[in-house]
Order: sequence, then structure tokens, then C-alpha cells
Amino acid sequence: MQLDAKIPGGPLETKWDRQRFELKLVSPANKRKFHIIVVGTGLAGASASAALAELGYQVKTFCIQDTPRRAHSIAAQGGINAAKNYPNDGDSIWRLFYDTIKGGDFRAREGNVYRLAQVSNLIIDHCVAQGIPFAREYGGLLANRSFGGAQVSRTFYAKGQTGQQLLLGCYSALSRQVAAGQVTMLPRREMLDLVLVNGQARGIVVRNLITGAIERHAAHAVVLATGGYGNVFQPFTTNGMGSNVGAAWRAYKRGAGFANPCFTQIHPTCIPMHGDYQSKLTLMSESLRNDGRVWVPKQAGDQRRPEDIPEDERDYYLERIYPSFGNLSPRDIASRAAKFQCDQGKGVGATGRAVYLDFAAAIKRLGRAEIEARYGNLFQMYEKITGEDPYQTPMMIYPASHYAMGGLWVDYNLMSTIPGLFVLGEANFSDHGANRLGASALMQGLADGYFIIPYTIGGYLAGTALGEVNESHQAFTDAEMEVNAKINRLFQIRGSRSAASFQIDLGHIMWEYCGMSRNDAGLQKGKQLVADLRQEFWENLTLPGSTGEFNQSLEKASRVADFLEFAELVISDALARRESCGCHFNEAFQTEEKEAKRDDAQMCHVAVWEYAGEGHEPIFAKEPLVFEFVKLVERSYK
Amino acid sequence: MSPETINLTLKVWRQHGPEDQGRFITYQANDIPTAASFLEMLDIVNERLIVEGQDPIAFDHDCREGICGMCGAVINGRPHGPEKETTLCQLHMRGFQDGDTIVIEPFRARAFPVIKDLAVDRRALDKIIQAGGFISVNTGQAPEANSLPVPKSNAELAFDAATCIGCGACVAACPNASAMLFVSAKISHLALLPQGRPEAAKRALAMVAEMDRLGFGNCTNHKECQVECPKGINITNIARLNREFIKAAVSSPEEIPVFPAGRPEALQMGAK
Amino acid sequence: MNWVVSTFSTSIGKKYLMAVSGMLFLLFLAVHLVGNLTIYGGAEAFNSYSEHLHALGPLLAAAEVLLVLAALLHITMGVTLFFQNRRARPVRYAVDKTGGGGRTIFSQTMPYTGLAILVFVIMHLTAVSRFFVDRTQKTAFQVVTELFSNELYVALYMVFMVIVAFHVRHGLWSAFQTVGANHPKYMPFFEKLSAIFAIIVGVGFGTLPMAISLMN
Repeated sequence: MQLDAKIPGGPLETKWDRQRFELKLVSPANKRKFHIIVVGTGLAGASASAALAELGYQVKTFCIQDTPRRAHSIAAQGGINAAKNYPNDGDSIWRLFYDTIKGGDFRAREGNVYRLAQVSNLIIDHCVAQGIPFAREYGGLLANRSFGGAQVSRTFYAKGQTGQQLLLGCYSALSRQVAAGQVTMLPRREMLDLVLVNGQARGIVVRNLITGAIERHAAHAVVLATGGYGNVFQPFTTNGMGSNVGAAWRAYKRGAGFANPCFTQIHPTCIPMHGDYQSKLTLMSESLRNDGRVWVPKQAGDQRRPEDIPEDERDYYLERIYPSFGNLSPRDIASRAAKFQCDQGKGVGATGRAVYLDFAAAIKRLGRAEIEARYGNLFQMYEKITGEDPYQTPMMIYPASHYAMGGLWVDYNLMSTIPGLFVLGEANFSDHGANRLGASALMQGLADGYFIIPYTIGGYLAGTALGEVNESHQAFTDAEMEVNAKINRLFQIRGSRSAASFQIDLGHIMWEYCGMSRNDAGLQKGKQLVADLRQEFWENLTLPGSTGEFNQSLEKASRVADFLEFAELVISDALARRESCGCHFNEAFQTEEKEAKRDDAQMCHVAVWEYAGEGHEPIFAKEPLVFEFVKLVERSYK
Repeated sequence: MSPETINLTLKVWRQHGPEDQGRFITYQANDIPTAASFLEMLDIVNERLIVEGQDPIAFDHDCREGICGMCGAVINGRPHGPEKETTLCQLHMRGFQDGDTIVIEPFRARAFPVIKDLAVDRRALDKIIQAGGFISVNTGQAPEANSLPVPKSNAELAFDAATCIGCGACVAACPNASAMLFVSAKISHLALLPQGRPEAAKRALAMVAEMDRLGFGNCTNHKECQVECPKGINITNIARLNREFIKAAVSSPEEIPVFPAGRPEALQMGAK
Repeated sequence: MNWVVSTFSTSIGKKYLMAVSGMLFLLFLAVHLVGNLTIYGGAEAFNSYSEHLHALGPLLAAAEVLLVLAALLHITMGVTLFFQNRRARPVRYAVDKTGGGGRTIFSQTMPYTGLAILVFVIMHLTAVSRFFVDRTQKTAFQVVTELFSNELYVALYMVFMVIVAFHVRHGLWSAFQTVGANHPKYMPFFEKLSAIFAIIVGVGFGTLPMAISLMN
């Protein structure tokens, strides 16, 4: 597989300028002749659809939900980073770049990350102009807060629902283009295959989820913005129930390289599990860690109520082990530390799989009203779910899978290894390395959609010979037949277990053997268990109804089938990465202080996997990561 | 976090498709953990139905964190159930008693045709946003973010209105199936911000005209919408919409757009 | 004048017409009640009020025309809204509950109390107004006293006044909300005023028969 990242040469600061100059332009009159398919309407997909339509391209946008406003970007709570330096506390584009690449444990490209930091400020300008109701100071100017391990206050926020507000901004821009006739919006459609003609991505096959009809859609380029694959850990995940790897997986099977699938982020502040029937975990913004103090009882097995445990019998372990960052230590460190405490029997709550997040000190210092203003909706949510009042008693939290840094491999132009297939947002792998910093996902999704793809897709369309292709092309017919065949196979199993039960089993395997802390023996075992489960799935699935109708069980089964194949790739990738870095923690590679130990000599690369056909091991390739501008240092948050 | 369980009788609206008449079917839901959410309760029931070879109950859902707006059904006569400011996914079974009978119906409105069982088509709400629920700014045009101060109180009122998740509970709750709370939330959000003022008149006229065309009812100030809104959006927004509308109609040069007559395409099943 | 037609054809436009005509009726009710309360001053006071009122001549006629026009608007719009609203929910709920703080018996019965009031107004006008009753032979007080000597009429009249109070209870604050006058600072006042005015109207008009029987 050719892995040319196409990073322009020259100083870091001018790479993006240079690229924008070197990319060919599509003349204004010609833009309307190009049809572009966008799959997914989260921050990346909706912003890309809007921005491309504004330029004059004919866009067809697809989503699996009933309306584009539902994408799981809405669930992001904390905020969005930008290098505005409004608080005058020493931030800069360079610092945001450096923090992001260091946060990613030096497993991302310098060029991509620097560009992300550069466009971050444009995003805030644009979002404010769209009417996003960001938090403001009394003088009417924008407020900032420090977030998720940053030592500067660079995070813009809209109470606890920044993702929701940003997505509604994209959705409104998208709606405007739908009204203008530039975007054809097709909700309740699920992409089931990517169609290639002459090696170029030229369309997709989708299932109309209302009628069950299989539809073909042709275009000059295809943009995937289909989110991450955290549901491979379901129920130990905060992902929405519908989030799935299907579209990315089908693209992989058509030849798109999959990069770093083992880089999955575990979020430290989720509401703990309460029973087997639980469908997923609920995330609470880690902005809570700004004012909450994490602790466990010093004594393992301490059964007292938290209020009854005196101060000197509490272990504020993050503050103790990481004195300079304390409760704001990065996500992976905070998550593993919580697991470590629970594994020692110091976990609290009914399951012993939880630690306290205590606001008593903050309430005393700032007053209840201020805490309510900052976290009111999060506290309310917690109380609703657990039936406990966090103003009175400490919250309980536990980590859960949250975000996928890995994804389809893309070059600097966000194009995958398939020409004409672009991948944006969480679905690609590009900017977060082995670990994503808080408030950076929203930034990346919008950067990709608003400010990168509009340039780079033009460069591709203007510089590529694209023949006339329509929906009656043989490639569409073949793809549709394959899709139908796969659906029919699912119906013919006629076993006795539901798709949902397989998904939960898969999640348990992945969480146990490929979760926060991994080792080779466990990974090998997990891989075998996944293979066994997959076999059982194809022998024992039961699927009600038929394909020609609204059939949520079929949707689920199709997605679970993909997850069962994909999970094995995650484990293979985890086995192949002979180091610990960021969120990938292999117990064989750790410092004496139990911190992740990178191997920059051997492992400073992007791991890319290429599909080699049914029953064959995927082909492994490396994209070396070259650091010209920053020095690789060991992360230390002590 | 108690391991308690309860037994329930569910009377669920089952309807194969938009043309089907639909009917209530009774299910016995035993051993439901009280810590489960309402949707997890339906998951448990569906799991049993699937294993028995029956058709599971169709219902929309996604984030299960009360923010995406996709879930929703009428539980014993109340959209999203009996709890205040709660979506169905955040309604927990600890609020029900052992032996309760729960009647579950889809959101009912002419503008929200039933797709299957409890899943309804709410694209009419998208249509209203498309009519004008945006600020016309192209990517790249924006001025420096802090060049436009917004009074904190206005920003907060705008935020409160912008918290609308588009679930449609206001329509479902309204005895007239009116979408006024939904429309007013978007109108208010944008009208309260200086960025939204240039298009305020055009927006108010267009969104109201589109709302009317789609077959929603009229607001008669029952306040049911604000009682059932999972985000606590209140009817002062409707009053603001009324002001914005009449101001636009009487004092701005903008005309009320005339949308094509006939059955709105948003109401046609499976249409593009 | 096309914009006028299109404005008042919208749902909000129709509601404005309902609200503004409704406010006119509320004003009318207030004036009418003040006038009628002169009954408590005895036959002379009441007859004097009646004479003064009729002495207004063209002004009174103008007010009457305005009220008739407002009534026509209020009725047309009310009927239109009623049927539109029914059509907006073709399939009703099997269980339909309110969570408290929402619809009330007053708000839910508006179309029906409205219809009842129309019936009453017709009945009332045919019984007392100068267009239907020969006032040359009788004083206003005599007309009223005769009317209220019929016990069945009194009972009916009192029921109707309760109905008017119901209509006013929802109508008053609702009219302010519809014209956009809802503000956290003064809406609570309108809500209270709604209840108080409804009681005043109900009690004020409703006790008139008793006032007369006491006087006789």
C-alpha cells in the first residue's frame, strides 16, 4: 500500500498556505457540475456538507438518524479549543499545536496538528457568527475555561452542551443549503457499500431504513464522516446506540487503509454501571474535574458512606501521584489510575467499580450557586440516572470507552488510500495520535469540515480525470448484489440469539482483554474469543421481520456483523504495537512508576492495515512519523 | 442502585406502517430492574420478543443521554413520561410501581406520521428550520469572534432557547398539535443575538408560514408544551415569536412567503 | 392590502385577531359591569345610567358596530382555529393527561364556553336590547326586573355568567400572551388579573338578579 502523506515541505507555519496555493482550483462555474456525497451529519459531515454547498458543489448528504441534528456530536459536553489567547495567559497557535501533539504521545503528524491549531481560531469566529450561544463574561465578550489537562484557558463552551450547540450551528448551515437546493438531504439511510470505478470512489449503496429499499447514489467524490467505533466496547462506552463502524469498515473492505485501530480513548468521568441490562454508560464532562476532587478510601474494602470517611482516611490519589496536574491529569492517566485503585479493592459503590468525585470543597469555596452555574445540568443528569444528589454526596465515576483516535488512514488532504474517498472527523485517524486532549474533538471535526475539505476536495476534483459514471454502472449493480446477499445471509441463519446480545458479549470481551490495560496473553485470548463469537453469530443469530420494511433488528445485526470483524483488527493492531503510548497501554511496556513507555526508535509510526480478502490476515504497513520541529519527550504530569 | 425489580403490564401501540390502522397490544413485562431506564426496559422486552420469534417494538433512540432528541413516546398520556424535564431515555423505572399498567403511544400529530409502532417521522421540524432557522453566513466570512459583544443576559436567554433538542414533545403534548414552542425556541435563540437581527423579520415570517403549511395546529396557550419540554423551554419564547412575527409583518418590507399548496412532501413516507 | 390578508391568514395572525377582539370584549365587559352595578343604586340610578348611555347616540352606535365586527371576527377565527386544531391531530390519544401547570378546565373549554356565550348574547340581546324590546313603555329597570322575575331565566342566566367567567379566566392572560406581552416581570400580574377579573365578572353580573330581588 502506498502511504504518501503528502505533507508539504517548508516551515511548519507555512505548510498549509503552501498546500492551499499548490492545490488546483475548480472554477466557480464548474463547481455545480461536481456531485459530492457526504455520509454522516455530525460536526464534520454537516459542516463539510454546508461548506461544500456554499462553494457551489452539488451535495448529497446521508445520515442514519431521522434528522441530521441527532448525530452523536451532540453529546460532547465540555467545549472546543482554540488558540485565541483571550485570557492573555500565554497561549498561542504553537502552544496549542505542541500540547495536542504531546497529548497524543507523539503519534500524530506535525503538519496535520499544526494546521488544526491554525484553523482553530477561524472556527470560533465562524461559530459565533452562526449564533452559537457560547458562554460570555459580563462585558459581553467570550468566556474561556481550562479543560482536560491544559494549563491555559483556551476552551470555549456553552454550558455543558457545547457539542449540541455547535452541531445545531452546522445543522442550521446545512438546512440553509438544503433550502437553497444545494444539498439533497437523505436521512434514515445507512451506507452499506462504497462503489469504486477505475479505482476511484464514485458512489455508495445505501439502505433506506424506512422502506428497506436498497438505493444507489453516484458522485464524483465520497466524503465519510461517520464517526468512531467506540461501540465495539458496548456497553462500556459513551457512544450513542446507533454509532457504528459499518461505513468505515465497508470502505476498508474496498481497499481503504485502516490506521491505528487500537488507539481508543477511555474517558475517566462516566456514571458507573448498575446492571447487566444497561445499554451504555453516560459520560459526564471532565470539566467536572476542574472543581471536583477524585478520591478513594485508603482502606481497601471500606464500606462506610463517603460522608462518614474522615479526611485523613481518604486517598486523593491523583493529587498525590501527580502534584502539578492533580485532578486535571490527562484522560488516560486518570482512567488507568482509577482502574488501578479499583483493582486494589479500593473501588466504591455497589459494584466496586467506581471512585468518588467530590465537590464538597468546591461548594464550600465557591458556593453552591456557582457550582450550579458551572455544572448544573451535569449534576441534574447524574441525579436523574443514579437517584443520588451530588450536592450532598460525592459523585461516583468510572471510565468508559469514549473516542476513537484510530480510523481510516488519510493523507494531509484528508483523502484515504482510495482516490476520491475523503474521511473527516472521528472517522479518520489523523490529528490526535495515541490520545486526544479534551475539547479537541469538536475542534477537529469542524476544522476538517469547514476549513480543510473545501480546499482539498477541489484540488482532487480539478486535478483528476473523472469519467462519466451513473447509477446504472456495473459496479453499482455488483455492489448492490453483494449488499443484498449479505442481508439475505443474515436472515437465513435462523438461530436463537438476538444481535444485541452478541454486541454486548463482544463489548465484554473487548473491555476485558483490549481495554484500558492490555497484555499479550489477554489480547491473544481476546482475539480467539472474538473469532469464536463471530462464528456463533453466523450460526445462531435470529432476525425478525424482513428487509423490505422498517427493521431495527436488521440494522443492528448488520452493524454487529461489522463490529465482529473489526474487533479482531483492533486486537491485531494492539498486539503489533510493541510499546505503550497514549491510550494504548501494554503492561509489558511500562516504566517503574507504571507509566506508559514509548519506543520511539521502533514504533514511531502510524500502523496501517489493508484488507486482504475474506479469511486472510490483513496486510500491515507503516507510515513513519517524522518530527522536524518538536523534540520527543516523555510525558510527565508529575 | 438497588437490585429491585418490578412487574409491569404494558399496553403498547403497534402499527406495521403508515397505512396500517394500528392497535394496542398488551405485554407482560416481568422482573424489570428499577434502576433501568425506560428504553432499557423496552430493550429487555424486545430481547424477549426476538428470542420468542416475535416482532420487537420499534422505537427511535440514539444517545440515551437525554440530548439527541431522537427518543420519545407518550407514556400514560404524557410525552416522555411523568417526570419533569426528562427525555424517555432518562426516565427511570424507579418512578413506577410494581403492578403498574403503562400505556405507550407514539407522538401523535398530522405532521408526524407514524413509521412503525412508536417511531414517527419528524422531518416537518427540519422543514421549518430550512425555511429560516439559520443565520446566513458562509464559511470564511465571519468577523473576529470578540468584535461583537453580546450582553450576558441576552446570551443566556438565547442559550436557554437554543437548548431545544427538536424531539417534538411540545407538538405531542399540545392539545392542538401545535409546533409553536419549537418554532419560538429557534426564533428566540436567533432574535436575541445581534448576529441574528439582520434576518429576524424574514426568518419569523418564513418559519411561521412553513409551520402552518405543514399542518401543525395553532397555539391556544394551554402551556402543555412548556410542562412537557424536556429542556424546560417556556412560553415566554412563544410571546417573543408573536412579537417578532407581528413586527415583521407590519413594519418590515419582508413579505410572508407563499409555499406551494398541497400535501407537504415532508409528510410523504420515504420521500427524498 | 394583500399583506394584511396574508398576515392575518397565518396561525399567529388569526390568534392576534382573536386576542385583540377578545381584549375589546374584556373592555366591554368592564364598562358594562360598571354600568349594571348601578342597579345596586336602585331603579332611578339604573334608569339614569341607561338614559345617559343612550344619549351618546352616534358614539354608542359606533361602539355597537365595532363590537359586532369584533364578534364576527372572534367567531370566524375561533371556528376556523377549532377545526384546524382538530385536524392537526387526526388520531387522538388513548390516554391523555396533563402534568399540572398546563391546560386547565378553562383553557380546554374555550371553544364550548365561547359557543355558549354566543347563545347567551343572542338570548340577552333579544330580551333587553332596544332593537328587540319596546322601550317606550318601560324603563330599563322594569325590563330587567321583569326578566329576572322568571326563575328559570335567572337560573339560566347565572349558569351563563359562570361560563363567561370561565372564558375570561383563560382569555385575559391568553390575549396578552398572544399579542406578545409576556415578560417574567409582569406576566404573573396578568395571570392573577385573569383570575380576579373572572371572579369579578362572574360575581358582578351573576348577583344582579339577587340585587333586584332584594330591592323588590
